[in-house]
Amino acid sequence: MLRRLILVGLVVAFSFGVVGMTQEPVTIQLWHGMSRALGEAIDKLVADFMAEYPYITVESTYQGGYGDLHSKLDAAVVAGNTPTIAQVYTDWISPVKSILYPIGPQLTAEERADIVEGLLPANTFDGVLTTVPFNKSIMILYYNEDLVDTPPATWAEYEQMAKDLTADLDGDGVIDRYGTAFRPSNPEQFLIFLEQAGGSILNEDWTEVTINSAAGLEAMNFINGLVPYSFITNEYMSDHITEAAMFLDTSAGYTYNVGAATNAGFELGVARAPAGPVNGKSMVQGTNLVIYDTDNQTQAQKDAAILLVKFLLRPENTVYWAIHTGYQPVTKSGYQSQEWIDFVASHPYQVAMSEQMLDSFESMPHPSYGDIRSVIMTGWEEVLRGAETPEAALNYMAEEIEPLLQQ
Amino acid sequence: MTDPIDLAKRATLMGRARGTSLRWFYRIRPSWRESFAAYLYLLPALVILGAFVFYPFFSAFRLSMIKWNLLPPRPFVGFDNFRYIFHDKYFWRALWHTVYYVGITVPITMTLAVLIASLLNKGLRFLSFARTSFFLSYISPLVAITMVWRWMFNARFGLFNYFLSLIDKIPFIHVNAVQWLNDPKYALPAVIILSVWHYVGYQAIILLAGMQNIERQYYDAAKVDGASGFQIWRKVTLPLLTPQLFFVFIISLIGSFKIFTEINVLFSGTSGPLRSAETLVYYILRIGGRIGNQTPHLGRAAAASVILFGIIFAFTVFQLTVTQRRVHYQ
Repeated sequence: MLRRLILVGLVVAFSFGVVGMTQEPVTIQLWHGMSRALGEAIDKLVADFMAEYPYITVESTYQGGYGDLHSKLDAAVVAGNTPTIAQVYTDWISPVKSILYPIGPQLTAEERADIVEGLLPANTFDGVLTTVPFNKSIMILYYNEDLVDTPPATWAEYEQMAKDLTADLDGDGVIDRYGTAFRPSNPEQFLIFLEQAGGSILNEDWTEVTINSAAGLEAMNFINGLVPYSFITNEYMSDHITEAAMFLDTSAGYTYNVGAATNAGFELGVARAPAGPVNGKSMVQGTNLVIYDTDNQTQAQKDAAILLVKFLLRPENTVYWAIHTGYQPVTKSGYQSQEWIDFVASHPYQVAMSEQMLDSFESMPHPSYGDIRSVIMTGWEEVLRGAETPEAALNYMAEEIEPLLQQ
Repeated sequence: MTDPIDLAKRATLMGRARGTSLRWFYRIRPSWRESFAAYLYLLPALVILGAFVFYPFFSAFRLSMIKWNLLPPRPFVGFDNFRYIFHDKYFWRALWHTVYYVGITVPITMTLAVLIASLLNKGLRFLSFARTSFFLSYISPLVAITMVWRWMFNARFGLFNYFLSLIDKIPFIHVNAVQWLNDPKYALPAVIILSVWHYVGYQAIILLAGMQNIERQYYDAAKVDGASGFQIWRKVTLPLLTPQLFFVFIISLIGSFKIFTEINVLFSGTSGPLRSAETLVYYILRIGGRIGNQTPHLGRAAAASVILFGIIFAFTVFQLTVTQRRVHYQ
């Protein structure tokens, strides 16, 4: 009897083992836009993943910067020849949500609950978690430590300090140092003030434009008041690090900004964005992971991609990614892991970034968000360059966004 | 080079050897037979041109009439895209910027090129060195030189403002530092300066080649008649240079209408402050979603490119009919 049991047990174990070993090999394509150190970090994670799942081959390809990645993905969507999984901004995929393979339903409840809350709305389409956050950064305030002792905590402090720090150092009538700086091609800077004033681009159910509400005007007026004390450039601030004493920029630019400051001979501090009248939230930047549900993708490929996503969400991997790239972990367990806690302890600037990341908002997954954003960018630049009043710019935005809601 | 007829004969012989006949081929009229062989030779090039030039060219007309979405449906909308563009103030600005840019860049570059070519033609000591150095600006990669120029235009540390500050030191002259890349007034002029510098060498070399091809006898005859140096230049060199001038004019006109790279690099992936240096091609690529991560609206972009095509086509026809009459061939 015992012998028979052992035999049956062996047969069962053996057959499972065989099934496990003869798992059909599957190859998936991962398209990303991460070069240099960031690309190496992806390669390392992918290699670890393949070691754990020997039957899965991940063809991970760098497709160029975000612009190239976006065009190639659009072309692939039109041609029906998408990769299995790719790095995407929300507005790249919101127009094509019908060909996406929702990731959320394939995750366990724990995995879903583990994702940082602020990161969920931009990844949720029609109530279903469809994509998952991957390389996420946060807009924070950088400041010159030689000039700023305590970074501004409120709008009023920010405005006062910007005013005080703007200076014509050699008395030739030209301002040599500005209190702060803004980037016209970065309308997210405006969206932070809009959110902090309690405003929004659209109402809750996306049926009405609310950008020109009282809150919108308050935010735009605040920026308008800062314009005389602001260095305005479309170039990266790391190329103009001495021009301004404080500026809002993404945490992903930390190494570039600090490198530039070190070259210029000063220390660069990092703080949370100054808080507005309603809240102190800042805006999340960076891309998410999408799995395509197109005809060229088999179920086995989609399943393998889900395994890759689950792998990347594990605390040790999101933390590895964050430590080696300058992005932020995307799961709560990542933030709570000892490795991350130790990392933050030895890198004090990370405190502000992490705190801000956990008090953040993200762009809305509206199908026309790409167009809405470019309208906002146009109006925002007009205010920064003094070409329009805040009221006129906001009304222009509202007029242009209105027809985009009908589509 | 094998003669096509020969080839056909050989094919027939080979056919006979295998027991078949290509006699039908010889029943075709000889002139057709020749064109057939010629088209056969052209086929590889035609296939490539067809796939990458002609097909996209004609499909742009089709695209301009549909509302293009990433995923179907892509409904036919008639002239809606054109209507959208004609109501977009940025289209009209882009058109104006393009005309302004072309209207200034082409004449200035050509005038300078004629002057440089004339000087080089005078018989410079280090002619080949001078030629190379003028050509260098043209053969250097556009993106690389534009990045260098971005620094030269830098408002605080750039070379241009340094020169302006030197001029400022001259008594009674006052010039301010210019925010070249950050002031809507100066954005397009900055692009023009860069373009003139970039293309003048290329044009000068072509014109120089043209000048050196002018036969000596014309100059000798003019000298015998007692013409002064300037008169010779005005009455002999320039008229006999018209074929090259005409060529350079068309090439640079079409090229200038298509300016894009310089702008995109100079203004860090934007078209300048308040889009003050946005040209038609930039506009087309922007609304087509190729720049700045924008949502692609290929229908609108195609409509705008049809308009750009119309403009360039009109100019070319104008040049071929009107300007051509003033070209003198030797």
